[in-house]
This record gives sequence, structure tokens and C-alpha cells, in this order.
Amino acid sequence: MEDRQSIPCVELRNVVKRFPGVIAVDHVDLEIEQGKIFTLLGPSGCGKTTALRLVAGLETLDEGDILIDGKVMNDIPPHRRNCSTVFQSLALFPHMTVEGNIAYGLERRKTPKNEIRKGVGEMLELVGLAVMEKRRPSQLSGGQRQRVAVARSLVLKPRVLLLDEPLAALDRKLRKEMQVELKRIQGEVGITFLYVTHDQKEALAISDTIAVMRAGKLEQAGAPDEIYNTPRTKFIADFMGASNILSGKAIATGDGKLQLETDSGLKVIALHNEDKGSNEITGISVHPELIELLPSDAGLEEENRFRGRITEMIYQGDFIETKISLSQTGELLTAHFPSRLELVTRLSVGEEVLVHWSPKSSNILLAQNSYLREEKSLY
Amino acid sequence: MVKFLTKQVHLPYVGPVGLWVLLFVFIPMGVAVYLSFVQAGPYGRIIHEFTLDNYRALFTRGRLMILARSLEYAVVTNIVCLLVGYPLGYWIVRHGGRFKLLLLGLMIVPSWISQLLRLYALRRLAGDPGIINSILLGLGVISSPVKMLFNPTAVVFGLIYTWLPFMMLPIYASLEGLDESLLEASVDLGATPFRRFFTVTLPLTKGGVFAGTILCLIPAFGDWLSPLILGGDRVLMAGSLVRLYFIRVGNFPLGAAVAVILTAAVLLMIYIFIKLGGEEAVERLV
Amino acid sequence: MKSGKIADIIQRLGVFLVYIVLWMPIVILVIMSFSNHAIGLRWQGFTLQWYVQVFNTPKAMEALKNSLFVSSIATVISTIGGTLAAYGLYKYKFRGRGALRMSVLLPITIPYVVTAATLLIFFTQVFRIPLGYISIIIAHITFSAPLAVFIVLGRMARVDWTLEEASADLGADKLTTWRKVIVPVLLPAIMISAALIFPWSFNDFTITYFVAGVGTMTLPIYIFSLMQYSRTPVVINAISSVFVILPIIGLLLVTFLQRREAT
Repeated sequence: MEDRQSIPCVELRNVVKRFPGVIAVDHVDLEIEQGKIFTLLGPSGCGKTTALRLVAGLETLDEGDILIDGKVMNDIPPHRRNCSTVFQSLALFPHMTVEGNIAYGLERRKTPKNEIRKGVGEMLELVGLAVMEKRRPSQLSGGQRQRVAVARSLVLKPRVLLLDEPLAALDRKLRKEMQVELKRIQGEVGITFLYVTHDQKEALAISDTIAVMRAGKLEQAGAPDEIYNTPRTKFIADFMGASNILSGKAIATGDGKLQLETDSGLKVIALHNEDKGSNEITGISVHPELIELLPSDAGLEEENRFRGRITEMIYQGDFIETKISLSQTGELLTAHFPSRLELVTRLSVGEEVLVHWSPKSSNILLAQNSYLREEKSLY
Repeated sequence: MVKFLTKQVHLPYVGPVGLWVLLFVFIPMGVAVYLSFVQAGPYGRIIHEFTLDNYRALFTRGRLMILARSLEYAVVTNIVCLLVGYPLGYWIVRHGGRFKLLLLGLMIVPSWISQLLRLYALRRLAGDPGIINSILLGLGVISSPVKMLFNPTAVVFGLIYTWLPFMMLPIYASLEGLDESLLEASVDLGATPFRRFFTVTLPLTKGGVFAGTILCLIPAFGDWLSPLILGGDRVLMAGSLVRLYFIRVGNFPLGAAVAVILTAAVLLMIYIFIKLGGEEAVERLV
Repeated sequence: MKSGKIADIIQRLGVFLVYIVLWMPIVILVIMSFSNHAIGLRWQGFTLQWYVQVFNTPKAMEALKNSLFVSSIATVISTIGGTLAAYGLYKYKFRGRGALRMSVLLPITIPYVVTAATLLIFFTQVFRIPLGYISIIIAHITFSAPLAVFIVLGRMARVDWTLEEASADLGADKLTTWRKVIVPVLLPAIMISAALIFPWSFNDFTITYFVAGVGTMTLPIYIFSLMQYSRTPVVINAISSVFVILPIIGLLLVTFLQRREAT
């Protein structure tokens, strides 16, 4: 039905959750679209796990509403909401087989035996564990246990699957494999995923939408490329690994452009955006790959051109990670220069260079609260 | 009211045991204290009038001696059990190897066999007539039987025999849990085995020692089977008095007074131990 | 090192000695129970007649039956109550939690005589509970439940309790979660408790003696009466060896369960 699709699968309206001495979730509003992977990203203690547990019903909220498929769920206990959780510790029942684990939820619903068997079989196929049904969790590898946990929850066909840092205990290679796996599984079943992680690379790899949280508040929500390329606050820019964050204030506008002066005295140009009140601007960030190298004889008249000295060059294959100390202020910029460019190959440490980026590449950073006042996003 | 009760989620779980402890530990204790201050009437009846007679009767020379001796025997038992149990546990942990569990089991099993039987076995061994005497007489080593029983030494031996496992087990547990790397570190820093033992091992196993003491000294203090079976009731301990007054004489108030004194002494001892042994001793037990 | 070797041998000897002294009386008892000589101590041939005699003595069989009955009930109730209490103490923070923990310890830290005597007072003066099965069972539970509480409590700390949340998340109510998740996971500790409590209760004399009253006889009390009044020690020996075999079986059981719990 048309209508079903347009109602957000999960909605948080002005949700507040307090623990003694701290506000874990601080007036959070968000909407999660049907059939997508929505990730809550942030450092530990930012409230993302609490938010997830509120949706699951494992914690009760103090203020606000939580809706699943448009229905308010505040007082409904966990096993009667239509959602299922994959815990960080996986919580597989050690005394049951893989089969027993997956069948558990179906048995609680008094599903007839043959249906249970069918459901379990389908799930095992889906997660790629077809021959393992008689094994016990202690006999499985980390990745296999992961899949059992997911299968156990998915077999109940919940409206939304909640995953609390499920891959945190796995090593890097396995984690990458499982990220791909999870995305594939989600694509096949089409169920909405609410995913929680502190790993920004993981969030970028797996999500359809990312919501970054800090200290209980939502800082920014959007598609992965939005969060990565145009982080709205210094915190997010830093958290996502942007290496060049320059703090400063806007000093002039005109001609569709915005001029900022950094705390250190640099004058930087960015594209002016009418929506952003200039008194809330706290600086800009620039991605390393967007910094260009110019021949040293080119002039400084154009915008965003700075002289500097190379302090470090680290070969990374496709690009060379280069650290440049700006002559004017001594600040360090990190640039990723394509390694095959002739100009680049002739560089060496200690050399003076001229770097530049287009005003378009200056990402404006705002103070935390300003974002919240702007829009209630529908994602 | 209902809302309040339903909020007490923990009640259905701890309720039964809590109620039990209240009903069958605290209330009886309270009643005992009460009884110790009332009169004993004829034919086991109780006259509910306040009196200090019971305590006066106990503070006579004879009775006080019994109580003091009980403490003495219990302390001796404890020390011997410690001197035997600690090295034993130490050896098993360090040199037991594959047999660790077996040796541990061989120490535990006797503690499961009724104290009655174990002491009876001792009596059959050492008594007159008894196995040891038979052998010695048969071999001609002695001309008349040796009287090994019915003296304090036999009673204390019986106490040691009974309570040794209870001293050894907590000590073993605490030795087992000792981090090898701590010992290695001390050797690395130049300690001789002697110093290593006194400066590292012993302090770290203090908790086990105190737990073992509480599990050995206190039961030994109140034991009345060993005095009965190996001492022939010629040696009396505090527990024997309790049995005497409660079962054989039927004087509940007097018996209650003994019980109260015993309990007070024990609680005092525990208090001192915990102060000396610190939190770890409590942890080990709890 | 030569001296090291000698020291080592002496140590081994010492350990050996302790175990010999510990087990010798018991072993002799068991051996003697097979001896053909009624009163004396000389070995006159192997026989099972004493065992047969025991089985044919109605009083002995009655006492055995009573002991089994009392100990079974006490074990079951102690284990269940202890497990519930351990769960409550571990998972919930409430007023009086520390006090309850300490109080549960009380019966086993005070000398047995005192607890037994106070129970006797309680049964005769306060609540008028007839001295017999009931009083014995109550007394045994009072001493065993603390053990169960602490053994299960120890295990509780090593369990991943998100299992409970997972069970709830998957649609199970509290009772089902207990049945299908909590009890199976705690089972090793529960079994160990039972394996320790049953022999203790079966063998107990000092406490049962106080609260048994005149009519009821458990096996230890029967043995005691034999010791006081009878002249056939060999019968006692026969009964005793049963007492020795049972704990050994218990030990094997516990070792087996320990290995199970380690996985």
C-alpha cells in the first residue's frame, strides 16, 4: 500500500532518557525510512545504544514517544513490539544448538512444528550456514555465531531489526566480510535495520542513512556521502576523519562567497549558503584529496592559495599523504596528492610548495545547536 | 499498596530465604536469649520470671574452665590444622600436576563422611580394645594395652582429624588463584624462596587463611562429638554443656545461657578476624 | 640438585603421610566390615554376613528410609530456595541486600550446637512443631540453603545476562525464560549444590540429634544408638562402609559436573 511505504518505520519524537547524573538521550527526533539501513554513529557514551534499547523496549523513556509503523510503543514490553535485537555479546543460548537458537522465537509464538522447520531452514540458507544446524555456539567461529544471531532475530520477520555494535568483537578482515554480508542479507529480506556503531568506516560502508550522535544529542543525519563530504560541525568532521579542520569566524560575504578568518589568521573563502546564519559558523574543513598542488611560480592572488613547506610524505599507493606546514601560520595541512602526477613525483620533504583548493571544497562548520533548530529531517 | 509490592521485584526471589532466615535463625536466637534470662522449673517447665541465675551458674570455676578449655582446644586444633593444611595445599598447587583434582578429592571426601563415623573409626583404632593395641600386644611390643583415649589429647586429635579438610580447602583455593607471575616477579627482583613466601605468598593468601580459620576454629569450639566419643564425656567442652543441658537434663534456660555465651564469643572472634583479615576474608566466604 | 631431590622426597612423604592418617581409620573400618570375626579384631575370613544382617534388620532399613526421605526433601527445597535467593541477590539492588547476604551466612558460621539448640527451643517453646520429620527437614534446610546460595551466586557472576534480554526480546515471558534459559545455564552450579548438600544432610548427626525427638530415626542416629548400647561393632562397620561409598560416588559426580561447567 502506498500509505505503508510513506510512514516511517521507526520514529523518535522528542525522546528523553535520563540516568542518575546524566541525560543519555536528550530530546532526539528522528525518522527511519522503511526498508533501509539506518545507522546511529558516535563515540562511546553518546547515547546511541540507549536510543536503540529504547526502541527495543529494554529501557523505558522519560519523555517523548517512540513509534513503530506509526503506532506508539512507549508502554509496550519488548516481546510485543514488532522488533528484534541482535546484542553486542550475541547472547546465543549456549545450551541449545544453532537450530534451537533460531527456532526459539518461533516456538514462543506457538508456531506449528513444520513451519518452524521451514523457517529455520530458510534462514540458515539466507545467512549461509546450511549444514551447521546441529552445532552448538561453542563449536562455531566468531563470524558464524554472528550469523546465527542475525538469523535468530530475522526469522521472526520483525518490522525493524536492531543491531547493537554486532561486529565489534571481530577482527578487521572478518568485520569487513560481515559488513558485506549484512548488507546483502538486508537487501534480500528488505527489513529495516537500525544499526549502532562507533566505527565511522563501518557506518559509511553499510548505511543508507547515518545519524551522528554526541552527548545524547543528534548532530547530523544524512546519506553517507553527505556526512563524509559535508560534515556540519567540527565534532563530526573530526570524528569522520577529516584531517583539515580550521577554526574561525565569518568576516564578510559577497558575490555568493563567504570570507572567513581562521583563529590563526588565514583568510579562507567558501561558498555562501543563505540558510546558515553567519554568526553560527565555527570554521571550515577540507578533505585531503581536495587540496591541489600548484606550480610554485603561480601567483597568490586567487582565492585559497597558500604557501607551505612539506614536512612529511608517506606513500600510500594511489596517493601520497603529504603534510604541509603553512608559511603564514605554521598550521599543518594534510593533502592526498595523486602519486602519478609529474608535479608530485618531483616533490621532496623540505620543499616549498603552493597549495590551493576551490571555495566549493571549503565545508562550512557550524556550532552544534544551530543544526537542530534548522530542520526536522525526514530520512 | 499493591503498586508498592509489585515494584519490589526482588521479593519473590529473596523472599523465601529471607523469611526462612528470619523465622528459623533470628527468632530462635531471640527466644534463646530470652530463655537464658528466665527460670528453669521442675520437669523441664519454664517459669517466666527474670533471673540471672543461669549466668551465675555458668560463671563458676568449673564451668568457666570448661569454656576456657574449649577455646584452648579449638585454638590448638586451628593452629595444627593450619600448620598441616597450608603446606599441604601449597604442595598440591605447585607439585600436584595431574593429580591435583584427585588429591583435592581425597581431602574432601572424608569431610562428607559423617563425623560420627570418622570418630568411631578412630576409637576402634586407638581404643582398648582396639586395633592398634591388638597389633602391639600381638607383636609383643607391649604387655598391657595403652590407654590412648579418654584424655584431652585424644579429643584434640579428633578435632584436628574432623576439621582439617575445612581448613585446607579455602587455603587451597586461595593458593590456586595466586598469579604465578607475581611470584616470578619477586624472584626476578632478587627474593629468596623464604622471603618470597613471607612477603608475597602469605599476604596474598591471607584471605584463604582467615576463611579456613573461621571454618575450622568455630566448629571446633562448639564440637561435642569428639569429647563424647574420644573423651568418654570425661573431657567436656562447651558444646558438651549445651548437649547436657538441653538433651540430658532438660534445663533449657541454662542451656540457652551457654548457647548465648558461645554465640557472643564466636561473633566476637569473627569480628576480630574480619578486622585483621580485612575484606578479602569476607569475599572468600561470600 | 641433590639436596633438592631429598627435600622433594621428604615433602612427598609428608603429603603421603597426611593422607594415610586421614584415610587409614576409614579404610580399616571398611575392611573390618567384611571380617568374619564378630567382636574381636582379628581377621578370620571374608564374609558378607554383616551386610546381610543389616539388610534384615527392620530398624536399620527404617532408619535408612527416613534418612533418604529427609535428605531428599531437604536437598530439593534448599537448592530451589538457594537458587532463587542467589538470583535475587545478584540481579537486584535493594535495601537490606548486604544484610541479607550476611544473615544467610549465619547458620554456618555459628557453631552447629547453637543453631541446633535454638531450633530445638523454637520447635518446643514457640511454634510447637512436632519433633520428627518436619523438624529435621527444617533444620537441615536451615543449614544447607546458605551453601546453595553461595555456590549458585558464584556461578551467576560468570554468566552473560544479556541471554535473559535476548530471551525476552524473542518473545518469552519470565517463566519461560527461567525454564528454557536461566535454569539450563545455572544447572552445573545447581547440581553441584545438590551434590554437596545431599551427602551432608544424609550424614549429619550433631544437628539431627537435637531436633529429632524420640520417635524418628535417621541412619546416623541409629548408628549412634548402636554405638551406645550394642555389642556388635561389625554391624556398624557394615553400615559405615555404605557411608564411605556414597560420598565417593558423590565426588565422581562432582568432578564430572566440574568438567561440564568448564566448557
